[in-house]
Amino acid sequence: MSETGVALAPSLRQRGLGTRRFAAHLFTLLFLAAWQTASLIAPSYLLPGPVPTAQRLWVFITSARDLGHLGASLYHVAAAIAISFVIGSLLALIPYYVPVLRFAIERRIGPFLNAFSAIGWTLVSIMWFGVSPLTVIFAISAVLVPFALVNMAAGLANLDLEIMEMAGSFTRRKWRMFVRVIVPSLYPFIFATLRIMFGVAWKVTLTAELFGGNNGLGYMINLARQEFDTATIFAAIIIIIAFVHSMDRYVLGPLQANVSRHYAG
Amino acid sequence: MPSKLSGRLLGEGLVVAVLIAWLVLGRGLPEFILPGPVAVARRLFELFATPEFLWHVVTSAWRVLVSITAALLIGGGLAFLAYGVPWLDGVVDERIKPVLNSFPSIGWAILAAIWFDPGHFGVIFVEVAILIPFCLINIAEGLRNIDRELMEMGRSFTRHRARILWRLTLPLLVPYGLSATRIAYGIAWKIALVAELLGAPSGLGYLMLRAQTAADSTTFLATCFAIVLLFVAGERLVIVPLERRFAQR
Repeated sequence: MSETGVALAPSLRQRGLGTRRFAAHLFTLLFLAAWQTASLIAPSYLLPGPVPTAQRLWVFITSARDLGHLGASLYHVAAAIAISFVIGSLLALIPYYVPVLRFAIERRIGPFLNAFSAIGWTLVSIMWFGVSPLTVIFAISAVLVPFALVNMAAGLANLDLEIMEMAGSFTRRKWRMFVRVIVPSLYPFIFATLRIMFGVAWKVTLTAELFGGNNGLGYMINLARQEFDTATIFAAIIIIIAFVHSMDRYVLGPLQANVSRHYAG
Repeated sequence: MPSKLSGRLLGEGLVVAVLIAWLVLGRGLPEFILPGPVAVARRLFELFATPEFLWHVVTSAWRVLVSITAALLIGGGLAFLAYGVPWLDGVVDERIKPVLNSFPSIGWAILAAIWFDPGHFGVIFVEVAILIPFCLINIAEGLRNIDRELMEMGRSFTRHRARILWRLTLPLLVPYGLSATRIAYGIAWKIALVAELLGAPSGLGYLMLRAQTAADSTTFLATCFAIVLLFVAGERLVIVPLERRFAQR
């Protein structure tokens, strides 16, 4: 029984893969057709068709101003990820080295940061810093810190005690142990954390830019909204989906898989 | 044990220290930048005591609950579709999931503001759209991890598919469904409230934006803390007990 299962598996999967891909492409075509039909019925400020949206997309990737907004958003995301990763990791490391502070960080600071809403951070930073890139970066970082804290704390909790003991028998310098043993064993968690943060950051960035930014894709969407320029909104959303998905799929995913494979054993 | 006690003391001490620092800072700063903790606490109390504010709280909570239920049903339905109809796997996995997963939340909010009249429907539409990918990913993960041997055993006992679904597949999915609920609950309060900023004449998000534009920082901060309280209460009172109950089985 199991033998036939194994023998059948490749050919079945091959055929399944073909149908799968066909169905997926068919779905895309059907979706585009439905979009086209709906856009013929609805006015263009409600639903611009695929063709005007594609034209706007082309303008987007050839216009320096639009690309500048994309660059600004990228800068906000990158800066916020860097800042919140450092802060979150430090917060996770403190209880590891000073156990007395565990309760303060894991039961008081962590849950509070985790429960504070993204919109709250955005609006509060507008009140404190005005409309500027600083506001945007602060708001995104504040949202991302708990993600970094929770993931890095999980990584530290998963450290192999035997390996730590072995390392302790080789050196007594804590810094050396940290750089040579703790950080490398945390690599899989670091990459998983960065990947999650990248996904969440994009969900929040546009909101922060829309309310508190003077550049970036969120700002651009806000201008387009005021002018009922729905094609621009569609184009910006498509650019983000394409960018986020391809980064996750072709850069962060393989990187993470590579690292986990390397450090799994 | 003493280290546990001192840790606890330090933790509570930190909270007190932050409150004192806030009190001192709030004295020196104008009220629209940082109102004192006493004023915010009083407003927070009013938020839960006066009918007008309570109405906003209830509206938001009700929308969150409806959205989570709808997102679980739709996300779970999509996951089951991909699981039960193999050739649709590619459609769900390669088309619907990546698009929904990378769709910016404010994008949904703006589109809903353009498409629908302000009101419950628009807000719930946005929240559901934001929450679906989280439910879909978790439940799909659960379906992928189902024990094949157990399913085979189930099939050797009965050939009713509904019976297998009810007695085997669904109970095996409960942990994943719960973790989907937990994640969706967090995202709903923290991120999906953005729906109430653009397309609603009621709810905590609307209240927050109104307070912020009126430079009424006291109400604004009180609303933020109300969300923290609601979030923590829901997690402690509903989600953790549920998880504990199903983890024991």
